[in-house]
Amino acid sequence: MATHIAPLRKLCRFLIEIGALHVLDGNDIHLSLKELYEKLSNGKSGCYWELFEVYKHLRSLGYVVGRHGIPWSVKGQHIKSGTCSLEGSQESNEMLEMEPKDENSVIELFNNMQITDVSPAFNVYLPNSKFRKSSPGDPSFVLYISRCSPPSRVEIEALERKHGAIPFKFCHVENGRVSFFSFAKTELPVLP
Amino acid sequence: MMPRWKGKGLQAKANADPMSKIVSQLQSSLIQFETRGLLSSCSVLVEVDAELADLLNRSCFGRPRITAQEDKQWFQLDMEEAFYLCFSLKCLKVIGEDGSIKSNEELWDYFKSKKLVFPVSYKVYSHLRHKNWVVRSGLQYGVDFVAYRHHPALVHSEYAVLALSEGDNDLNGRLRVWSDVHCTVRLCGSVAKTLLTVIVNSNNQVANSPSCLEHYTVEERTITRWNPERSREDQTGPKNGTKKV
Repeated sequence: MATHIAPLRKLCRFLIEIGALHVLDGNDIHLSLKELYEKLSNGKSGCYWELFEVYKHLRSLGYVVGRHGIPWSVKGQHIKSGTCSLEGSQESNEMLEMEPKDENSVIELFNNMQITDVSPAFNVYLPNSKFRKSSPGDPSFVLYISRCSPPSRVEIEALERKHGAIPFKFCHVENGRVSFFSFAKTELPVLP
Repeated sequence: MMPRWKGKGLQAKANADPMSKIVSQLQSSLIQFETRGLLSSCSVLVEVDAELADLLNRSCFGRPRITAQEDKQWFQLDMEEAFYLCFSLKCLKVIGEDGSIKSNEELWDYFKSKKLVFPVSYKVYSHLRHKNWVVRSGLQYGVDFVAYRHHPALVHSEYAVLALSEGDNDLNGRLRVWSDVHCTVRLCGSVAKTLLTVIVNSNNQVANSPSCLEHYTVEERTITRWNPERSREDQTGPKNGTKKV
């Protein structure tokens, strides 16, 4: 996936949409939202759109959303982060900021992200003032963005083994509608 | 989702009258009267006296047929119900067109010929019935079964059940696409039920005879929709809820 085009893309869109960020092009001229959308709709940005929709949806409701496999802290350092993804390693020299002050501090949040059914997209934390970047703790749940079909039982079992006690959910995005589903193992009790 | 009892005191009434005991009484009575069912297309018809009729009603097997007959009552059993009484509880015998009693293998073949997924749907039916849940047809809700904690007169059903098989021979074909997940979960939510998938693994057994059933394994899963707007305050974890769209 393109590396230098991806930076800013998604977080950028979000911030622009909420009026919190102005994006300047190479000539220091403000880009309008339309121009930005056009720029970002070209090329390989297709699958990023769903990631952006989900990210925006949860962020605007106050959830803390981080990219799975990327650490929260340490500004300006190069970090090689391990990732739970089965899709191979991802380089990261990023950090995550909750409210970037300027685009330089905005990380390549969605750099190299792909939607695959086996790779979790986000760690999600409930809107909760106890969240600290320095010690985020376990996420409330891990979120997978589903691309094609609902997960099979075999896939779900594999994910349960992988994540252990941390719950996970699947997100389906279509027509701008973002829906979240849980597939939880259960056992109906034996009744008297 | 907690059970919703239909009135005050009904939970206590259910506790005082456990379903396992009612079913056990039904089983004894059917054996005692040497009850015979008549195979009729996809149903089995049984003619019973008042005592058995009462037990069938209380244990939720079959549906009474309205007839002009006064001393006896006719009940119509679904395939899964009939096979459960014959094969699992061994308290009913079924007679075919030719007047002879059908063996379990013959019944199995016959029901499979009427319903390709019968082995899977029967496994799910019997799995839940063994745990003393009341299991009825879920057709009106677009699912295979609905499961109640006790008699439907006492309690609303909590679960809308889909009997699914996994592997290449899956004939049910449900929940293969997201639109079906959306549709089914939404419908279940609108009737206050949780979608329960019971996934049957045949473990490569060929369904030639009912003895294959004991090699089938079963896993239960609920599919619920999470509503991020309603879960923000929950410190312990997201609640499951139906999102109004």
